[in-house]
Amino acid sequence: MPIHTEQDSDTYSIRLDGVVDIAAGTELKAALLDGLERGGELRLSLADVTCLDVTAVQLLWAAERESRAAGVHLQLDGGLPEPVAAMLTGVGFESFPLS
Amino acid sequence: MQQNILGNAEQFKQSFREEAREILVELESALLELNESPQDMELVGRVFRGLHTVKGSGSMFGFEQLAAFTHNLENAFDAVRNGRLTIDSGLVDLTLSALDQMRAMLEEDAADDPAARAMVLERLVQLTGIEDAHKTGSTPATPATSAPEPSRPGGALHRWKIHFQPGPEFLLNGANPLLLVRELAQLGKLSVRACMSQVPPLRELDPERCYVGWELHLETDSAIEAIRDVFIFVEDACELSIDPIEEEQPLLELCAADAVARALDEPRAGSAGRRVYDKPDNAASLRVPAARLDQFVDLVGELVTVQARLSQIASRSEDAEVGAVSEEIERLTAALRETSMNIRMMPIRGTFEKFRRLVHDLARDLGKDVELTIEGAETELDKTVIDQLGDPLMHLIRNSMDHGIEPAELRVARGKRSMAKIHLSARYSGASVLVSVTDDGGGINAEAVRARAVERGLIAADAQLSEAETFALIFQPGFSTAKQVTDVSGRGVGMDVVRQRVESLRGTIDVASRPGQGTSVTLRLPLTLAIIDGLLVRVAAQLFVLPLGSTLECIELTREEIEKANGRRMVNVRGEIVPYIRLREHFNIRAELPKIEQIMVVETDEGRYGFAVDEVLGDCQTVIKSLGRFYRHVQMISGATILGDGTVALILDPQRLVQDSLREAVQRGVRGRPEGSATGRRKAEGLPVKI
Repeated sequence: MPIHTEQDSDTYSIRLDGVVDIAAGTELKAALLDGLERGGELRLSLADVTCLDVTAVQLLWAAERESRAAGVHLQLDGGLPEPVAAMLTGVGFESFPLS
Repeated sequence: MQQNILGNAEQFKQSFREEAREILVELESALLELNESPQDMELVGRVFRGLHTVKGSGSMFGFEQLAAFTHNLENAFDAVRNGRLTIDSGLVDLTLSALDQMRAMLEEDAADDPAARAMVLERLVQLTGIEDAHKTGSTPATPATSAPEPSRPGGALHRWKIHFQPGPEFLLNGANPLLLVRELAQLGKLSVRACMSQVPPLRELDPERCYVGWELHLETDSAIEAIRDVFIFVEDACELSIDPIEEEQPLLELCAADAVARALDEPRAGSAGRRVYDKPDNAASLRVPAARLDQFVDLVGELVTVQARLSQIASRSEDAEVGAVSEEIERLTAALRETSMNIRMMPIRGTFEKFRRLVHDLARDLGKDVELTIEGAETELDKTVIDQLGDPLMHLIRNSMDHGIEPAELRVARGKRSMAKIHLSARYSGASVLVSVTDDGGGINAEAVRARAVERGLIAADAQLSEAETFALIFQPGFSTAKQVTDVSGRGVGMDVVRQRVESLRGTIDVASRPGQGTSVTLRLPLTLAIIDGLLVRVAAQLFVLPLGSTLECIELTREEIEKANGRRMVNVRGEIVPYIRLREHFNIRAELPKIEQIMVVETDEGRYGFAVDEVLGDCQTVIKSLGRFYRHVQMISGATILGDGTVALILDPQRLVQDSLREAVQRGVRGRPEGSATGRRKAEGLPVKI
């Protein structure tokens, strides 16, 4: 699966790699909810992603929106690979990666 | 869940394959028509849309190589559409070759040859001058990042405001909204903004649903149809509106104005093309695996048999309620049977259209100029019959092209048009369909057939054969009069395949041929192989079923009429003399003759014939059961059926019975039909002759 999670005392890390699409949606949602519920810092690494589909984008977008209300510090590690970022910008996700 | 999604993905791929196969057949047909009418822009549009569909949905369902390859062809036909390129036979031939490659990629089979693909694309560039980033067809189609220049027909630029909101089932149907947005970018200058306002809280978010919508602003010289084409596969699963922008307005402002309008739920006047995804299901058709349909028809067949049993029990019961229920079940079963049979019926068009390509390619390879005409393509046959029909027709056409049709010089010398003609036709005839392959070639040389048969030891040198028997020899295994074996035919295999396949379908073959004028081979095939309406008749204790579709009427045959006929098996039906066959004699059934017999008058290719039986028991729904391979040579019986009380009735093939009877009559030196009857006239003309 393209979703890997790790946690220590105050940080929950989610690393995505490869193709993250509808097939990974349920697992990604569970990981994000888990990270938000724990509070503290939620670190997200998308550097090894080769493709993000719309289901992944809307999950990450919803997680970012809720992190603020939940008082969770969501941090993006390393940014997005250039082709993936260009693709997302090209289809109108101007504020992606996470603002 | 994961497995479910992966399973769905495979299912979508399979659905795409099925759809794409049909599109490729349509494309082939349109291209061949285009070869004849290169100025026909509607045909160009058909080809472009077909390619566009394969590219778009191919990319959506994971056939990236196919999509990338098709993209190049789409560009070429877009150029034709926009007047930058003209159609000629070179482009048509090349595109036909490309279709072969696309077919191989679609099936992911051994015929998929990257080198051949590359060669096709090289030739395409040479021919059209259109360079493309996807030359090898080995990279994914990513139109937004590596697309060729958007089409520029040289028309005025228009600005369009597009609102696109995928519906709840959008992603589950295998569609990818991002690809659609990227595809729009091919049409011109695109400003795009994803609208996230519909995305719910994370906990409520269904990860398999698309909540994102798009507001797009497109400046293009393409027509609105080109924009709609992008959404062609998903238009029923999304909310879509395409509106012209009259004056300069920034995109964000447009989005905001739309958002307000939607919030207020205002009707969008003049919003042509808007679709609401949660409308009632308007799917006009449903794709169902053939195996599931076969299973359904088998079950209906079982139900028909059980229902017949129930009817028999009800007829013996004195309980009126049982009788009423039985009648109702009988009515419903008949309706169910009719419906299930109709579901299996398919027009023969698809099978016929496939041969346009065969004729085109063979004509080129053989250096002959041949035109294929098609008639009766809307004629419907049972799917099983249609599936089995492709090979026999292919062999017949190949044989006509190779051996029947003369070289152009010879045709001209014989006073014929240099362009030869092959005519494919289908029409109903009673409970059968007649499918014919007719050519205007040199005809069958009966002497050559006979000489070859003697040489091969199939007949004795002094054998006396009728024309029918002589023509029947061409369907013998390994028989060929060809002087040399070519790539096309001449090995003597094809006609044997035709005979075997047609016999397995309980069909017959007629051959009509005139020297120098041409040959016509007609396959008589049953409409269905599963259940038919029949008439149950009795001869002594033996029960038979006659297909109702070919039965015209029932008349009485009295002893007095038999005596008047002076021993000839003829009966006067309102002034028309109709020959009849007494089934008890034909099947050697020894039992006392009733005082009054019944004659079932049936329409056959030989004209009207009667079948004398003891009693007509009534109509029955007949589930056809095969007699098995030991009885496959008993051709006058087309199968058997199990009646309600468990007894077995044989299903008669009236056509074969008449042929058998005529053959016997000829052997005995007795004329089978009176002078002036339909068959008498036909035999005088010499055509057609039965095999």
